[in-house]
Amino acid sequence: MNDRLQTALYALERLEEEARRDSPLHRTDARAKLLVTTIFLATMLSVPLARLSEILLYALFPILTAAQGGMRYGPIFRRSLFVVPFVALVGIFNVFYARTPVFRIGPLTVTEGWIALLSMLLRGLLATQALLTMIGSTGIFSLCRGMQRLGIPRPFTTQLLFVYRYLHVMIDEALNMSRAREARSYGRRTFPLRVWAPLVGQLLIRTFDRAEQIHRAMLARGFDGRIPDCTGASTPWCRRDTLYLLGWSTALLATRLCYPVEKLTRLL
Amino acid sequence: MSHHYLHFERVSYRYPNGYEALHDVTFHITHGEKTALVGMNGAGKSTLLLHLAGLLLPTSGEAIVGGIRLTPRTLATIRRAVGLVFQNPDNQLFMPTVEEDVAFGPANMQLTPEEIERRVTEALAAVGALHLRRQAPYHLSGGQKRSVAIATVLAMEPSVLLLDEPTSNLDPRARRQTIDLLRGFDHTMLLATHDMEMVLDLCPRTIVLHDGRIAADDATAVIFRDSALLDACGLEAPCSVRSIRKEESIE
Repeated sequence: MNDRLQTALYALERLEEEARRDSPLHRTDARAKLLVTTIFLATMLSVPLARLSEILLYALFPILTAAQGGMRYGPIFRRSLFVVPFVALVGIFNVFYARTPVFRIGPLTVTEGWIALLSMLLRGLLATQALLTMIGSTGIFSLCRGMQRLGIPRPFTTQLLFVYRYLHVMIDEALNMSRAREARSYGRRTFPLRVWAPLVGQLLIRTFDRAEQIHRAMLARGFDGRIPDCTGASTPWCRRDTLYLLGWSTALLATRLCYPVEKLTRLL
Repeated sequence: MSHHYLHFERVSYRYPNGYEALHDVTFHITHGEKTALVGMNGAGKSTLLLHLAGLLLPTSGEAIVGGIRLTPRTLATIRRAVGLVFQNPDNQLFMPTVEEDVAFGPANMQLTPEEIERRVTEALAAVGALHLRRQAPYHLSGGQKRSVAIATVLAMEPSVLLLDEPTSNLDPRARRQTIDLLRGFDHTMLLATHDMEMVLDLCPRTIVLHDGRIAADDATAVIFRDSALLDACGLEAPCSVRSIRKEESIE
């Protein structure tokens, strides 16, 4: 438990550090990256589930952007694996409903359901990877600023900013409580509900307390319900950003509309 | 500048649960005075500071902060005139970077970007934290956090500084640096603290709170010599004063 919390905390910090590095992708405006990622998600998720090979082609996007951002694809892939159980849970029913066979590999019959399940898994992985590369090359804070500048309502962006900022505080708090428990449980490994329930309850109360104190600190400095634009955040939109946006959106839309893999196989 | 005073006239405050945290508190702190607010845990120090910062309203009585009477209407104005440094800097620093955190107050005051930039630079320079401006607050050490928390308040250029336990949880050097920093300010200042050595070092005047009432309000030297009073209020004179007293009694 402690180790996992600590790991989560370090992972968050590593993500921020990664975002502070320098690369062509890091220098690209957050708004351009947001728009391109949105287009990627829209085009990739709208490919019909039966076209597994087309969806596979979209794997190029996270691989290429990660390379452009100087990030290794391996860790991104590994981190994206966490969605697999969730997507599998939703997709597994396809296997039972869609039993029409599509093709055979030796004694194995591949049905439509299996194809759909694989497509869903792939979609989940690719979507997560695209988001991870975007966050890793931008940082949550610039991303929120970017969203704000794109016209996304402030309540959402402010909320996101604070959730992220106070994730650290909350994990810290949880870590302290969990250590305090461990210090007096004398090697006992089990975590009975009798202990667990008040612990979680207390974490909630502590979080409320904390929130009130933070709110006071904000009021004391003239907070009136919206986060003002502070220094240094407004970088201008430049040609690199336009190129990035145009290049990727054309490529993504073309891939979506023409189904190049299918055409290629038919040609062959 | 002469209106930078703090005035409490028979102020009482009752928390919504019925607990009376302040009872008939009356005092006057003049411009540029550095005053310490001491008392046991739960004596009402933090409640008093929250009143002065316009974050709580008295249940009865009158509070005048920087020449303005504390009413629901004047809260916003008072919050600008008064800088409150909270006990836990983690609660005070909520923006992604130090720079933005310091700019938060001035940006709320709707100043021009140039003016905000000037204030951020000056405030960070004043606490010696200019090199930290692009860092994330959660990466700073305890002492650095405290310095930046003070800078966030300085950037609003307040006339009155209120500090809740400015030296708690600091290592000796960071504590010394904070004290020296505070010594250099010419603001009207009220420090709520348990650090009696700092009180002796920094504040010519001390107000003792006990159970929500003012038990004493006098020169620091006088208060620390009154062992009956300190005993009754659960306090202790600083080490240096105690050793002098011991020598006197031996003689």
